[in-house]
Amino acid sequence: MKKYNTPLIDDLEKGPWPSFVTEMKKAAKRSEMSNDALGHLEKCYSTKMGYWKHGGIVGVLGYGGGVIGRYSELGNEFPGVAHFHTVRLNQPSGFFYTSKALKEICDIWDKYGSGLTNVHGSTGDLVLLGTKTEALEPIFAEYSSRGWDLGGSGSALRTPSCCVGPGRCEWTNYDTLDLTYNLTQEFQDELHRPTFSYKFKIKSSGCACDCVAAIARADLSIIGTWKGDIKIDQAEVKNYAKTMDINAEIVNMCPTQCMSYDGKELKINNKECSRCMHCITRMTKALRPSGERGATLCMGSKAPIVVGSLLSWVIVPFIKLEAPYTELKDLIRKIWDWWDENGKPRERIGEVIEIKGMRSFLEAIGVPPQPQQIKEPRKDPFMFYTEEDVASYKAKEAEEKKTGKYKF
Amino acid sequence: MALPQRKTDIGPPHYKQFLPAVIQKNYGKWKYHEVLTPGTMVHVGESGDKLWTVRVASPRILSTDTIREQCDIAEKYCDGHLRYTTRNNVEFLVADEKKLEPLKTELKAKGFKMGGIGPHITNVVHTQGWVHCHSACTDASGLVKAMMDELYEYFETKSLPNKVRLAVACCVNMCGAVHCSDIAVVAVHTKVPNINHETFKNMCELPTVIGSCPTRAISPDPAKKSIKINADKCMYCGNCFTVCPPISIKDPERDGVAIVVGGKINSLRTSPKFSKLVIPYISNEPPRWPKVVAAIKHIVEVYAKNAKKHERVGEWIERIGWERFFSLANIDFTFQSIDDFTFMRDTLRTSATFKW
Amino acid sequence: MEITELQNKIYAFCEAAKGKKKLKEKDIIKGVAEAESVPGDEVKKALRAMIDVGKLMYSYGGGASSVEIPSEEYLREKGLLK
Ligand code: HEM
Ligand code: HEM
Ligand code: HEM
Ligand code: HEM
Ligand code: SF4
Ligand code: SF4
Ligand code: SF4
Ligand code: SF4
Repeated sequence: MKKYNTPLIDDLEKGPWPSFVTEMKKAAKRSEMSNDALGHLEKCYSTKMGYWKHGGIVGVLGYGGGVIGRYSELGNEFPGVAHFHTVRLNQPSGFFYTSKALKEICDIWDKYGSGLTNVHGSTGDLVLLGTKTEALEPIFAEYSSRGWDLGGSGSALRTPSCCVGPGRCEWTNYDTLDLTYNLTQEFQDELHRPTFSYKFKIKSSGCACDCVAAIARADLSIIGTWKGDIKIDQAEVKNYAKTMDINAEIVNMCPTQCMSYDGKELKINNKECSRCMHCITRMTKALRPSGERGATLCMGSKAPIVVGSLLSWVIVPFIKLEAPYTELKDLIRKIWDWWDENGKPRERIGEVIEIKGMRSFLEAIGVPPQPQQIKEPRKDPFMFYTEEDVASYKAKEAEEKKTGKYKF
Repeated sequence: MALPQRKTDIGPPHYKQFLPAVIQKNYGKWKYHEVLTPGTMVHVGESGDKLWTVRVASPRILSTDTIREQCDIAEKYCDGHLRYTTRNNVEFLVADEKKLEPLKTELKAKGFKMGGIGPHITNVVHTQGWVHCHSACTDASGLVKAMMDELYEYFETKSLPNKVRLAVACCVNMCGAVHCSDIAVVAVHTKVPNINHETFKNMCELPTVIGSCPTRAISPDPAKKSIKINADKCMYCGNCFTVCPPISIKDPERDGVAIVVGGKINSLRTSPKFSKLVIPYISNEPPRWPKVVAAIKHIVEVYAKNAKKHERVGEWIERIGWERFFSLANIDFTFQSIDDFTFMRDTLRTSATFKW
Repeated sequence: MEITELQNKIYAFCEAAKGKKKLKEKDIIKGVAEAESVPGDEVKKALRAMIDVGKLMYSYGGGASSVEIPSEEYLREKGLLK
C-alpha cells in the first residue's frame, strides 16, 4: 500500500476531541480505498479545494436511490477513490442497535467497502462511505438478505427519522419510534423509487423540544403536543425551590405569563399556556402534561437554496397519532397529490405552497383555516374572494337580518 | 461464493429487537430524568426502574474498528445495547447501577470522551465537506475538530447559561440544520462562477440553468450556445453549478466562511429562529482555521458572560438588541449583515428606538 | 393493451426524449397514458416491470431524479449484457 505523507491532516489528530483523521487512518490500515482517501484529503487541505466530481448514475437494480455516486477528478493519482460511492442504510427508529447487528453491518462493509462510515448522516441513514460501482449489487444482496434495506435519495421520500421518544423520554406525546417505523414501511415505494418533484423529508419529535430538528429540516415536521392541563406535584415544587429561584427561572420566563408562585404554591392558568415546554423541562419531576396527547403537523421547512430558508408552518394544529395512523397517511397522500400536480422539478413543497398560496394547499388537503396556523393575520387588503366566499358572507348577513343578531 | 438472495422494499428492521429489556418494560412510561454529570444521566420509570445513559463524543466519521470497539464495550456493560443521537454521539445504556462506574472507567481508559448533556456544547452538526462532497467550499470535519478542541471544556465540564448548538455547513446548500443554530459556520463563495462554454452545450439544459438562478443573473448567450452571468446580480450561491457541472465556482483563495448566530430549533419560551449573519467572511485556513475558531470561542464567551440563565444565544440577543450584541462582542457591522434578499422587509428597523 | 406492447410504447417514448428532455416517472406515465388511452396505473406497472429488469433505469442529475434508457456500461455492470 502506498504511504502518503499527510502533515496537514496529521495535525488534526492532536487535541482532546475525537479525530476523524484517526478514524480514516484506522480504516486505511486495511483498505486501499481509505488509504487513498487520506492522500486525497491531504491534497484538498494543501490546495484549499475539493476534487469530487458531481457524481454519476449508480444504484441497485430497480431502485432509484439509496446510493450517492461519487467520483474523484484525481482518479489517476488516487485510484482508490476514483469511485467512492456512498450507500445509505435505513437506520432503525431512534438509532437503537445491538452490538450483534452493528458488527454484522461492519463485517459486510469491510468486505465490500472502505470501512468508513458516518453514524449517522444528517437525514438519519447509517451512511457507508466509499465503495466501487461493481460492489453495489453484492452489498445490497448481503444487507437486504439480513434484514437491512437502503434509505432514500434523489427526488423521493427521504428516510424518515425521529427522536428517542417513548424509548427514553418522559416528555413524548406519541410513539415517535412506532410512527416512524410504520410510515417508513407504508411508503417503501415512495422511498425507493423517485417519483416526486424533489426530495420530501418526514421527521418526528415527541414534543416542542424537537430533538430531531423537524421544524427546520423536514418537509413534514410532526411535533408532539397535548391538550390537557400541566399536572403539578407541589411537593416536588418545594424540592426545586431549594436549588432554584422559581420566580426568576420559571414564572418570569413563561412566555404567556400564565404562571404564578407565591413561595408556597405554583399555579398555572392552563387555558393560557401555549405548551412551550420551558417549565416542564426545568422542573421535570414536578410538572407533567396530561389529557389528550397528539401532535401538530407543520409543513415546508428547507435550507436556503433557492430563495431563502423556510421553517415549517403549522398546517394541522392537532392530530391524534395512534396506530395504524390512517388519518395521517391519508393526509400525506393528499399532500403528495397536490404537490405532484402543482410542483415543477426541484421545487420543495414549501416553495410550491408559497407560489400557489396556502389556501389552494389547505383546500386541496381538506384542512380549514384556523388562527393556530398563523402568527398574525395578513396586513394588506389584496385578498382573493371566490364567488362562494361572497355568497357565504351574504348568506350570513341575510341570516342576521332574520335573527336580528350580528355574527362576525 | 454465491451471494444471498436480495430482497426489496423490506424497510428497516423493527426497532423493538434492539431495545434493552429495561426500555421494553418501561416503554412510554418514563417519569423523569436527572442529569448526573455532563456525560451521564438517569431516567426513572413509573415502575421505579432506572436506566443510566453515558454519552460519548464521536467524530461522526467512524471506522468499523471504532464501531466494533463501541460494540465490545456495550457487550461488557450494557448487554450489547447502544444507541446514537441525532447529533451523532454514541450512548451506552446501563440498566445495572453496579456497571456504571466500571463502564465510565473503561471509557476513560480507552480515550472516549464523555459529556455534552445539559447546558453545554455538544457535538457539532455537520456534513461532508472535502471528505466527500463536490459542492464543498471548506472541510466540515476539520473545522469541527478544530472548534471542539478549543471549546472542549464546555463539553466536558464548564456550564453555560443554556446549551449552545453549533453547526458547520460546507456550502450554502446547508445539509444539516445550520440555519437554526446558536452559532454556525457557513462556507461561502465570493466570486462569480466561470463557464466552460465548450462542454455547456452537451451537458446542460439551458432553461434549467437559467431557472436555477435565484437572482435572475443568468441569460442565454446564443452566439456561444451557452449562457452569460450578470456579475452585478450574482451572489455566488452556486445553484447554477449544482444543476450544471461545466459551471465552476470553486476558488481556493476566495472561498471562505461566514458566521451566523442566534438560531434555535425548539419552541421553549420563544419560537424557533433562523441564525443571522454577523461575520461575513473569514479565509479558509486549513488544517485548523484559527480565526474561525477564535471568533466562535469569543462569541461563546461573550454570551456566557452576559446572558441570563436559560437564555439561548438568540433569546439573549433579542433581549439586548442586535446593536448591543455587535458592540458587546466588538464585531464590525458590515453591509453583508443588511438583508438585500428575501428577508429585507422583515429585518430593517422601523422605529427610531435603539441603543448606542 | 398487451403489456409487452405497452412496454414497447413506453420505450419508444423514452427513446424520443433521449438527449432532449429528462423525463420524470410521472411525465412518462402521463404522456403514454394520454397517447395510448390506457389508465395511468397500468402504465406505471408496466414501467416498473421494465425498471426492475433494467430495460429502463432511474437516473439522477441536475438535482432531480429521472427515468432513462440504461447505458451499456450500466447493463454490463448489472450482468445484463455480456
Ligand atoms: C439544494 C439543496 C441541496 C443540495 C444541492 C445538496 C447536495 C448534497 C450533496 C451533493 C450531498 C452529497 C454529499 C456526499 O457526497 O456525501 C448531500 C448530502 C446530504 N444532504 Fe444535501 N443538499 C441540499 C440540501 C440539503 C438539505 C436541506 C438537507 C437537510 C436538511 C440535506 C441533507 C443531506 C444529507 C443528510 C446528506 C448526506 C450526507 C451527510 O449527512 O453528510 N441536503 N447533499
Ligand atoms: C395597503 C393598502 C392600502 C391602505 C393602507 C389604504 C389606506 C387608505 C386610507 C387610510 C385612506 C384614507 C381614507 C380617508 O380619507 O380617511 C385611503 C383612501 C383611499 N384609498 Fe386606500 N389604502 C390602500 C390601498 C388602496 C388601493 C389598493 C386602492 C385602489 C385600488 C385605494 C384607493 C383609495 C382611494 C381612492 C382613497 C380615497 C378615498 C376618498 O378620499 O374618498 N387604496 N386609503
Ligand atoms: C395607497 C394608500 C393610501 C392612500 C390612498 C392614502 C390616502 C390618504 C388620504 C386621502 C388621507 C386624508 C388626508 C386628509 O386628511 O386630507 C390620508 C390620511 C392619512 N393617512 Fe393615508 N393613504 C394611504 C396609505 C396610508 C398608509 C399606508 C398609512 C400609514 C402607514 C397612512 C397613514 C395616514 C395617516 C396617519 C393619515 C392622517 C389621518 C388623520 O389623522 O386624519 N396612509 N391618507
Ligand atoms: C447536473 C446537475 C446536478 C445536480 C443538480 C446536482 C446536485 C446534486 C444534489 C442536489 C445532490 C444531493 C442529492 C440530495 O441528497 O438531495 C447531488 C449529489 C449527487 N450528484 Fe450531483 N449535481 C449535479 C450534477 C450531477 C450530475 C451531472 C450527476 C450525474 C451525472 C450527479 C449525480 C449526483 C448523484 C448521483 C448524487 C447523489 C444524489 C442522490 O442520490 O441524492 N450530479 N448532486
Ligand atoms: S423531542 Fe421531546 S419527546 Fe422527543 S426526545 Fe426530545 S424532549 Fe423527548
Ligand atoms: S409550558 Fe411554557 S407556556 Fe406553558 S406554563 Fe410552562 S412555561 Fe408557560
Ligand atoms: S452542505 Fe454543501 S458541501 Fe456540504 S455536504 Fe451539503 S451539498 Fe455538500
Ligand atoms: S452562483 Fe447563484 S446567483 Fe450566481 S449565477 Fe449561479 S445561480 Fe445565479
